[in-house]
Amino acid sequence: MRNSFHTMILSATCAAVLAGALPTPAQNAASRIPRTPDGKPNLTGLWQSIGTADWDIEDHGAQAGPFYQLGAAGAVPPGQSIVEGGEIPYLPAALEQKKKNYENRWKMDPVVKCYMPGVPRANYMPFPLQIIQSQRDILIAYEFATTNRVINMGKKEDAAVDTWMGTSNGHWEGDTLVVDVTGFNGNAWFDRAGDYASDSLHVVERYSLRDANTLNYEATIEDSTVFSRPWKISLPLYRHREKNARMLEFKCVEFTEELLYGDLRKKPAEGK
Amino acid sequence: MRKQIFLLLSALALLVAATLPAAAQSNPSKTKSDKSWAAPKTPWGDPDLQGTWTGDDTWGVPFERPKNFGTRKTLTEDELKDRQKRVEQSEEFVETGGTNHSPAVAQIEAKEKGEAVPQAQGRYGRGVDAAPVPGHWGEFARRPSHATSQVVDPPDGRIPPITPEAQKLLDEKMATRRRDPQSWEDWSYYDRCITRGVAGSIIPVIYGNGLEIVQAPGYVAIRYEMVHDVRVIPLGTQEHAGPGYRSWMGDPIGHWEGNTLVVDTTNFIGKTSIGVNGDAGPPSSDETHLVERFTRTADNRIDYQMRVDDPKTYTGPWTVEFPITQEPGYKLFEYACHEGNMAMRNMLSAARAEAAKKAAAGAAKP
Repeated sequence: MRNSFHTMILSATCAAVLAGALPTPAQNAASRIPRTPDGKPNLTGLWQSIGTADWDIEDHGAQAGPFYQLGAAGAVPPGQSIVEGGEIPYLPAALEQKKKNYENRWKMDPVVKCYMPGVPRANYMPFPLQIIQSQRDILIAYEFATTNRVINMGKKEDAAVDTWMGTSNGHWEGDTLVVDVTGFNGNAWFDRAGDYASDSLHVVERYSLRDANTLNYEATIEDSTVFSRPWKISLPLYRHREKNARMLEFKCVEFTEELLYGDLRKKPAEGK
Repeated sequence: MRKQIFLLLSALALLVAATLPAAAQSNPSKTKSDKSWAAPKTPWGDPDLQGTWTGDDTWGVPFERPKNFGTRKTLTEDELKDRQKRVEQSEEFVETGGTNHSPAVAQIEAKEKGEAVPQAQGRYGRGVDAAPVPGHWGEFARRPSHATSQVVDPPDGRIPPITPEAQKLLDEKMATRRRDPQSWEDWSYYDRCITRGVAGSIIPVIYGNGLEIVQAPGYVAIRYEMVHDVRVIPLGTQEHAGPGYRSWMGDPIGHWEGNTLVVDTTNFIGKTSIGVNGDAGPPSSDETHLVERFTRTADNRIDYQMRVDDPKTYTGPWTVEFPITQEPGYKLFEYACHEGNMAMRNMLSAARAEAAKKAAAGAAKP
């Protein structure tokens, strides 16, 4: 161009326009997430966590399992803590209870008996979960023991009765699904290592799509009768993408009946 | 100029919005017969079947048609009046607690009054219903059904004869129920809190008839209150899982035919019965093929149909039909069946104690 001043203005303008128009990496991810017709992030899909949080949500190394006959197949795999800050802030008496739970974990862990895993444990079991997000409420169906829960997205409803999976009320904060869970019966554990809470447990979950195939999951845990302060876990859930991926069925009651009732089988001495 | 364009576009938008048909509001008086009723759709265009539904209105309708009705599918006005009376009686039972207390309740009340504790009736009971339920648990028909039976095909409303193999399995099952229980296997999969199966989860009984449908693009999910069962039904062209995969509730695939959701389910383990609580009748086989149809015919009604094809068990296919309805205030609760299944240990330990007593008495005889 003849006029260098015009060139400068043109270049500067182009640069400014381009800088404003090009999305940042974060905006790229946000615009690529699937959305429902009303513009909310679409969480519908088959999800599962990777890792060994179900064994122990705190740091843990590899360990022998309860039955040497199972060898490596029955051993405990290692994992890093999903607890922010590393350790769960138990009150002193509660920490003693956790230790007792740990020592008797194979007898006491409710999941070993195929009891419902509660929240948040259901979300990091080694089994998939299916989220069904309608224009109203959100259903989460878990492959483990056909456990399921509906997140009420309408007017908040109090828990009518204490349950294993609690009562879930949800709402959107921008692109984050926030779920308030109350009304727990205090029977579920957080993992196989005896981490537990009481029926005063209050959980606040946050689900946000990092990208189309990664769901960031956080949960704030509060129970002043067990912990000295609220604490938080966080881990990603990954979308199942294999061909024909679908939720299958793990109805485990059958596998626990010998354990639960085996001592009540008919005795040989009873005769015919 | 820009402002004028904006105003023009806004006016056009309002005009378009005013002419679009309004979404059907929840209004129990609106039915398919009203010319103005349109089946509601989800925002992504699928027929909307969502909500909490119950088969309560069909509670009391015989499963198979009594022979005297022949091929008649509906009651006469007089027969309907009779059924209405029985509906009112069951509603009264539920509301007043009835005069037939459960044996368990009678025992507690007797103890509190300092009276002699009456012996429980019946032998070991029937699992989770080891004692008849207290009245306030009961569910009841709100409107008497016009149907003479739940089975509508074959035309006589009666299930085709079962195969000899199925008869053998049925006889074996009944034998286990009659004898002193030897283990948990002598009870139904319902009593064991495993499942009632697909059919047993929707055929109405005296309580717990609720199910909830939640939809998303590409899916319909149904969760059932009893035993907290859930089915995730993918829509579209997905194929069934391979034959090596088996489950209690089977592998479902759905698609739409107009406003009807058609669910095709295979890959069953079998073993549950296709009847009340998944236990009435012979055990089904692993060749079971169910085709269900869900059609919303009113804001508060879905017409449900299930076609059963199980050639190892039945000598022909058969079909069940009844409506499920939405009722104000009806909601599902968590049914922690297995977690609370004290009945299984109680019944088995009672059986062992009785057997020990018998054995001791026998040993004491000269």
